[in-house]
Amino acid sequence: MNALKRLRGANNEGILLAVIIVLVIAMAMASPAFFTPSTFFSLVRSSMVPLVFALGVLLVMVSGGIDVSFAAIAIFAAYSAIAWSSGSGIDPGLFGAFLIALVIGALLGGLNGVVIARFRLPTLIVTLGTQGVFKGILLTYIGSRYISAGNLPPSVLAAGDAYLVNIPGAGYLHAMMVPVVLVTIGVWWMLKYTVFGRGIYAIGGDVEAARRVGIKVVRTQVLLYMMVGALAAFGGIIYVILGKNANPQSLVGSELDIIAAVVLGGASIFGGRGSVLGTVLGVLLVQLINNNLVLVGIPSTWQRAAVGILLLAGVGIQALATVRASSRSTAIHEETVA
Amino acid sequence: MSDSRDNALTTANRRIDNSVSSLISRIQVKRGSGRMVILLLVTFAFFAALRPGIFLNPVNLQNIGVAAPEIGLLSLAMMIAMLTGGIDLSIVSIANASAITISSLYTAIATASGAEAAEGMALLIIVAGLVVGLLCGAINGLLISVVGITPILTTLGTMQLFNGLAIVWTGGVTISGAPAVLTSIGRSTLVGIPALFLILLAAAALVAVVINRTAIGRKIQLQGANAVAARYSGISARRTLMGTYLVCGALGGLAGILFLSRNPAASADYGSSYVLLTIVIAVLGGTNPNGGFATVAGVLLATLTLQVVSSGFTALRLSDYQYAIAQGVLLVGVMVFDQIQFRHRRRASSVTTSQGAVPAAPGSKEDGQPQ
Amino acid sequence: MSVEPVLQVRDIVKVYGGVRALGGVSLSLAPGEVHCLAGENGSGKSTLIKVICGVERPDSGEIVVGGGEPLTHTTPSEAIRAGIQVIYQDFSLFPNLTAAENIAYLSELAARHKLSSRRRIRAAAEAVVADLGLRIDLDADVADLSVADRQLIAICRALVGEARVLIMDEPTTALTSAEVQRLFTIVERLQERGVAIMFVSHKLDEVLQISQHVTVLRNGLVVESGPAAEYTGQRIAKAMIGRDVSQERHVDPVEPDADVLLAVDGLGRDGAFSDVSFELRRGEILGITGLLGSGRAEIAEAIFGVHPAEEGTIAVGGRPATISSITEAMKAGIGYVPEDRLTQGLFLENPIAENIVAASLDSYRGKGRLLDRRRIADSISALFEQLRIKAPNPQAPVRSLSGGNAQRVVIAKWLDRNPTVLLLNGPTVGVDVGSKEEIFTILRRLAAHGTGIIVISDDIPELVASCHRVLIVRAGRLVAELVGDEIEVAEIQQRMAG
Repeated sequence: MNALKRLRGANNEGILLAVIIVLVIAMAMASPAFFTPSTFFSLVRSSMVPLVFALGVLLVMVSGGIDVSFAAIAIFAAYSAIAWSSGSGIDPGLFGAFLIALVIGALLGGLNGVVIARFRLPTLIVTLGTQGVFKGILLTYIGSRYISAGNLPPSVLAAGDAYLVNIPGAGYLHAMMVPVVLVTIGVWWMLKYTVFGRGIYAIGGDVEAARRVGIKVVRTQVLLYMMVGALAAFGGIIYVILGKNANPQSLVGSELDIIAAVVLGGASIFGGRGSVLGTVLGVLLVQLINNNLVLVGIPSTWQRAAVGILLLAGVGIQALATVRASSRSTAIHEETVA
Repeated sequence: MSDSRDNALTTANRRIDNSVSSLISRIQVKRGSGRMVILLLVTFAFFAALRPGIFLNPVNLQNIGVAAPEIGLLSLAMMIAMLTGGIDLSIVSIANASAITISSLYTAIATASGAEAAEGMALLIIVAGLVVGLLCGAINGLLISVVGITPILTTLGTMQLFNGLAIVWTGGVTISGAPAVLTSIGRSTLVGIPALFLILLAAAALVAVVINRTAIGRKIQLQGANAVAARYSGISARRTLMGTYLVCGALGGLAGILFLSRNPAASADYGSSYVLLTIVIAVLGGTNPNGGFATVAGVLLATLTLQVVSSGFTALRLSDYQYAIAQGVLLVGVMVFDQIQFRHRRRASSVTTSQGAVPAAPGSKEDGQPQ
Repeated sequence: MSVEPVLQVRDIVKVYGGVRALGGVSLSLAPGEVHCLAGENGSGKSTLIKVICGVERPDSGEIVVGGGEPLTHTTPSEAIRAGIQVIYQDFSLFPNLTAAENIAYLSELAARHKLSSRRRIRAAAEAVVADLGLRIDLDADVADLSVADRQLIAICRALVGEARVLIMDEPTTALTSAEVQRLFTIVERLQERGVAIMFVSHKLDEVLQISQHVTVLRNGLVVESGPAAEYTGQRIAKAMIGRDVSQERHVDPVEPDADVLLAVDGLGRDGAFSDVSFELRRGEILGITGLLGSGRAEIAEAIFGVHPAEEGTIAVGGRPATISSITEAMKAGIGYVPEDRLTQGLFLENPIAENIVAASLDSYRGKGRLLDRRRIADSISALFEQLRIKAPNPQAPVRSLSGGNAQRVVIAKWLDRNPTVLLLNGPTVGVDVGSKEEIFTILRRLAAHGTGIIVISDDIPELVASCHRVLIVRAGRLVAELVGDEIEVAEIQQRMAG
């Protein structure tokens, strides 16, 4: 029983892994083209940016909120950094570009944090609002011009062709995988082993109790949203590097894939629950479906609907399980239908 | 066993001491529509003064009356969802699904048996659009009330689903064609007032009556005010939530019909900026996003205000993006303002509570709304 | 008083919106002393606790711990660092974290560690648990633990730091009497170590059993303070309300062959209660009591359909009723005033009028399915008068009412349905001592007019004062039925404990 429970994982990570394995087997059976290195490499490549975003969404969800402004922050920060560089002709270097973007991202995220923490407003509605503001400011005051590869700072452009492993004909592992993996480990470590990280879980578990034991809730939340903003910016720059262009119109609109991945990864929208491992698996699942529907003969127009169905199925099963669990216990004082 | 003990006496006394504190997390300030009337007049006067030539032009005013209805209907739907403490992010996708249904049915019949036959069946086709709206609403209602998924996740998922199916259906391109009846309604006016605007007024009146004057409407309000107390008063959450999202679906379907009345073309990604806009309007109109309070008049006035701002921005040659900035600032600003005002008021009103004490911290968990 | 006090509260004033919550409260705690703080709801007890633990800043006055500097009262962490710990009534634990983390997280914060070490947390938690001689599964999530265990975890958490002052806010409400005795043993052990304990409770017998000093607050002022030996329960109660309370038995006669309004036969639900059978006659007030967790609340909730019974039958007004949901219970003629009034009974922000008709909306359908507003207004004003609800007008939000008046609104909600049987679970919880009596006067009148009244409560004196019969539940079974002169406080207590 206990071994089974451990296999299942605290947030059903085990089940998710099983689903992924089943899906992989099914896809391999449906299409011989599936089980090739190139499928694997493209899965990794397409998961990198969503994973970074998903880590940010995970942090917010663990603290009990939901963030839909991360994509706007990502492209705002990345595009601003690139546009400034290409406009001024100064190449800040790869590290410099990251730094500028991270600072911008942290500032924008901090703005979210201040409004949410200081005034205790619903996070979904606030971030919907700031998403509009960020995107609007970017396109109106910073730039609406598409920056093509030729106009990217040379260091950023060069980073686009840096590979860890390059197997001609089969694909490559991009060098940007290194920072992505490091950041993932960093977030995992922070959530698990720092007082700050445990504090995020505590706030998500019970804000009032957190305040009473002396956690500085407002400060923690503001810091958290700054961190999430910086993560978004980090993802934004990697997106630019991988795509070798900077398009201010991109990214915004793809939020749902990320949120779906995090929710499927076992994070609770009510806060206090969620893990980095689950999130990684969730991202892989969504990308697996997004990338390979066509391979198994489903037209690509189904992509969006498929993610929607996946999300609904995932949360539906969770919700039904909660309803059953609470009807078994003697009291349902908390309405499951909120 | 332990749960019921947990919920019994343990919490009762604390709840009494904190009764007010749980409320600070609700940003509920009872606002009359008076504030919205003033805001509408001020924005109107502002733009009229800045660009009288363009803004006060009858064509511009007429345009406001034609563009506002579809947004107004969607905002009313958002308001009703918020009234129960939920949200309907899928509402624009529902409207598009309805518009696409009508447009593609019409085109299909027109190509198969000629335009005349299609026009003859116009009413049936339009009803089909409404039915699709209701169906989408029923799916939301089912997932929320029976399966028990929170409204945010449900409608986030169905937004994607409805939108995704619309893409599958249309192949991602704009399809054109709509019954001529619709186009003519879109163009007709009654004593200078666009027919579409009258449709909005009629729908709003109906919604107001349902919410305030019928048993189900009052139950919807109570459900949003306190879901647990509603349950203990014999109000069935299933029925109220189902009803709520069905009404949302119907309003979405109607909005889809208005889309086509203005422009006989439908696409899966029409009105992608409307989700934010409808939330802005609902909140500006005095809806409490945590449930329990909303007024139809407030939402109507907020719709007009936003439309005035939109057309004012056009008159000033400001872009859609600047309009988006204005929406976001307005949304966050209104909520912050209400929150400050609410805290202020609460401090003053705690005089009348038996506690005589204001707890500093809100139990934001207590309303269980992860927004 | 040669010993220096470990906590001194000096002249604390706190005003909210022009109303004085605390009007200059002073008290002091000696090391190793158990100091009882008594007072009704609204007396300023909770405000005082909040001020002491740094959640609220006082308008004037100071708090001094040990011989040190007065606290500046900016954050709870300052109070925690000074050695003040609070065990909140709701425990304020994190359900999603393990027991060990709940216990030791604080010390990580207090030590300003940046990294949180599992081993250190585990060791710190184990040390406290062993120190108190407890057995708790430290790796379990708190959400999965029983209430008694959670209480113990809250105590452990308070003691993991160097607590010098421990404030216990209503610590016994959720505990069975055996668990209360265990808690008291722990309190005594802490006393021996010199920890000063402020014990906040409304159960006066408990207070007198354990404390050395009693302070009574009323309207934000200290009205009585002295050694516990000088006090009786009566005297404290009198000080709390400022006048004598009568607890004399007062029951109207019931005709022996009066109609049976509710007949329950062989009711049972797995794991909660079994073989529960009783009858309720017209004109009667029936009391059901038992310790927390005995199943008394579960029986009431089964009859009202919140968690329906799995076996047995229920008949209301002579007609058999199948009750598998709240709606069905209501249709059969049952009303239920829940224990957690503020969450389950009321729509706090909504007007009183809307609360009153919340359960009977369907009966007001008039022309074209619209609500008949005139009829609604009529019933509301009738109920206002009948129950003597004190409120400026029916449009005032329920939030603005006192506990007693709010409870009348809940009762009014059910009277508007004209129920055959009204179940009231803890009808006077959170109601001022003064208004308790008035609630029971209302219930007596209802019973006399033919509504069957069942009161589920653990306030034994109150049951003795008003019930024709008292049923006692122990471990999910009815173990005794007391009638007439048998209904006595001591008798009931003894039967409850078994």
